[in-house]
Amino acid sequence: MIPTEALKKSKREFKRDPASAPTEDMHDKVLEIEAKGEWIVHRVPEPYIEFDTKYGRKKKLPLQHTWHHKSCGQCGHIPGYSTSIFWLHRRLGMEYNDPTDQTSCTAWNYYASATSNSAAQACVAMRNFAAAYESGYFPQIHCATSYGHYKEVREEMVHHPELRAQVREIMAKMGKRLVMPEEIVHYSEWIYAVRHEIAKHKVLDLSQITATVHPACHYYKLVQEDAIYDPDVYGGQRTAVVTAVAQALGATVADYSTWFDCCGFGFRHILVQRDFSRSFAVQRKIEVMREEANPDVTLTHDTGCVTTLDKSQFAPNAHIDPDKRKAAIPVMSEAQFAALAMGAHPYRICQLHWHAADYRPLLEKMGIDWQEAWKEFEDDIERLRKDPKAFLTWEDSDKGRAAHASHGGL
Amino acid sequence: MPNDKIVIIGGGPAGLEATKGIADLGGNVVLVERRDRLGGTPDSSSYAALTHHFMDAQEVLGKMIVAITGQPSVDIRLSSKIVSSQGGAGNFRLTLESPRGQETVEAGAIIVCTGFDHFDPGGETQMYGYYEFDDVITLTDAEAMLKAKNFARPSNGQVPERVCFIQCVGSRDRRIGNEYCSKVCCGIASKQAIEIRQLLPNAKVFIFYIDMRMYGYWEQEIYWPAQEKYHVQYIRGIVSEILKKGDKLLIRGEDTTMGRPMEVTMDIVILSVGMVPSEGTKEVAKLLDIPQDKYGFLKTAEGGLDTVSTPVEGIFVAGAAAGPRDLDDSISMAGAAAMKALAIVKRKSQREMRG
Repeated sequence: MIPTEALKKSKREFKRDPASAPTEDMHDKVLEIEAKGEWIVHRVPEPYIEFDTKYGRKKKLPLQHTWHHKSCGQCGHIPGYSTSIFWLHRRLGMEYNDPTDQTSCTAWNYYASATSNSAAQACVAMRNFAAAYESGYFPQIHCATSYGHYKEVREEMVHHPELRAQVREIMAKMGKRLVMPEEIVHYSEWIYAVRHEIAKHKVLDLSQITATVHPACHYYKLVQEDAIYDPDVYGGQRTAVVTAVAQALGATVADYSTWFDCCGFGFRHILVQRDFSRSFAVQRKIEVMREEANPDVTLTHDTGCVTTLDKSQFAPNAHIDPDKRKAAIPVMSEAQFAALAMGAHPYRICQLHWHAADYRPLLEKMGIDWQEAWKEFEDDIERLRKDPKAFLTWEDSDKGRAAHASHGGL
Repeated sequence: MPNDKIVIIGGGPAGLEATKGIADLGGNVVLVERRDRLGGTPDSSSYAALTHHFMDAQEVLGKMIVAITGQPSVDIRLSSKIVSSQGGAGNFRLTLESPRGQETVEAGAIIVCTGFDHFDPGGETQMYGYYEFDDVITLTDAEAMLKAKNFARPSNGQVPERVCFIQCVGSRDRRIGNEYCSKVCCGIASKQAIEIRQLLPNAKVFIFYIDMRMYGYWEQEIYWPAQEKYHVQYIRGIVSEILKKGDKLLIRGEDTTMGRPMEVTMDIVILSVGMVPSEGTKEVAKLLDIPQDKYGFLKTAEGGLDTVSTPVEGIFVAGAAAGPRDLDDSISMAGAAAMKALAIVKRKSQREMRG
């Protein structure tokens, strides 16, 4: 007989069983096609760590020798996101390749129904994979939308031999072979893998910081079996990336009742139903977080989510009575948050001046003197203004505080 | 000449009924049970009242166990299991592993009564939070509390004001591959809803369902009184996720009758988990080479109205080892399996029986 006391005290643990996974294992399919001589499987290089995914299968995450597939949205209007990812790699001594000849994944284009046909779409992905293979570095994808989209392409390529034949022909015209990576890896999985290393290098005390986490639909809902699940995080019931990183850094992660909701970006909603996206982001996500969790920051791991949750906050600020307006919640990627925790410059590296929702109270609470940092950044700008060929280098970003000219204002 | 013993694997309701049937008809039984006691799932999962007339589960099982205990023709082997098998109908040679060590048992026929396991809700869409929130429980967790007459919120021990059931967890679901209906959960949930209302007259109880499958007399004996006398509220719609809101659980889903989304708070959520083949069923299937269907349950012979013969001559199945079965089915199958197994040992081949 199970007494009620035992029921209250029992620690229920969910054990995943790969044998009962309802979906096929893509690893097997990809290797089968290689065995037939149809493509090369780009193997995950050492050193790598293995983690459990949704149905208990293992996923290999390479720590180094990664080819960085950047995000157009990040580079375009959240540049601190990309810079933080690179800065983290540099600080941890993890070697990487930042290619200058990578193309956009064109996923956003595809979701807006503007893509031409499945072969063209697949070629974009396969071209990037081939370029990575030629460089000798393994692709690490910055944007969750690219990541989800490339997993869809993988599924199409695995199941349609006629598509593979078409794509092979097109690749040949570019002098490229057909290459499929052994794993499709998102940068947030890399940060998850090295979170304890990051925590060791932390210079700030984040114990007073409360964060809410928004998990990207394009990461864990699109081709869901590939996402990382950890029994120590949410009892293994929700995807572990981002949350595990915030917790490793010592912040408190607060829950809220719309955790599973999309940020509002959707696939193309932000393009074709923009007001819907904005209302959704503010009313279903930001206001609920504020009311239930009252966080200092919201962390997420996709270009679209940072964009939507952050930039949508201008809307309530514009039309709500200032006295009734609820305070904005700063939004950033966990990469930027981790970089700040390790002492990265909030403007040179994390480039928070691109963000819409006011992040300054957060920086103050984290113990970062943003005013001083801003003056340093203004000095940099002054220097760059004088020399049109100059740009900020990695060495500049790590420079100590120099004497600055007095500018007045911010 | 066929060996005159019949080995029954599994000492739950089906195994107990089959044993009694064979003993009553003059046959000899070796009843093999891996646990250290008989009773099967109603015992191991602490069932309180059975859906059948709210009979006390322990009382019913107790009577069934007493009926076969001390019978000279019944050899009960607890803490035992079959580890290998040779031979065929009429002459099986099974290796039995027990606290006494290993020994060979010869049998003319075998009846598999290894039953089912309850579906693990972690394998669902995983947005019900069973492993996250203490107040999300399953039918078996609820049954244990009802048996102890102490139905309280596991998180804080308080009496709940609002309780709901979510039907079809792990059943009727193409996404996870369990497409079938588990047959008993609607009846059990309605029964438990009545028991909760009896125990806690101030609690509101809701059942979120897709279809309410109340077969036969369950309709007027359980479904109608649940609504009319005990005011259990049945709401048609799928629940998609459960999250916390304050110290309550927030249920989010669709109310299909009203044609709109719904968000309601609850103190306890009970997941009506379905049936999956038990570990014992899967093991025995491999040991005895019994074909399994795509869900892992034992197949029964095709081409006829035979519910208990497996495709392997001389091996029969009774109860939920063959798929979702309620107690009526299990008891009836046990009788049919007992009859056919006895026929084997009385030298009739299955071919002769089919005529």
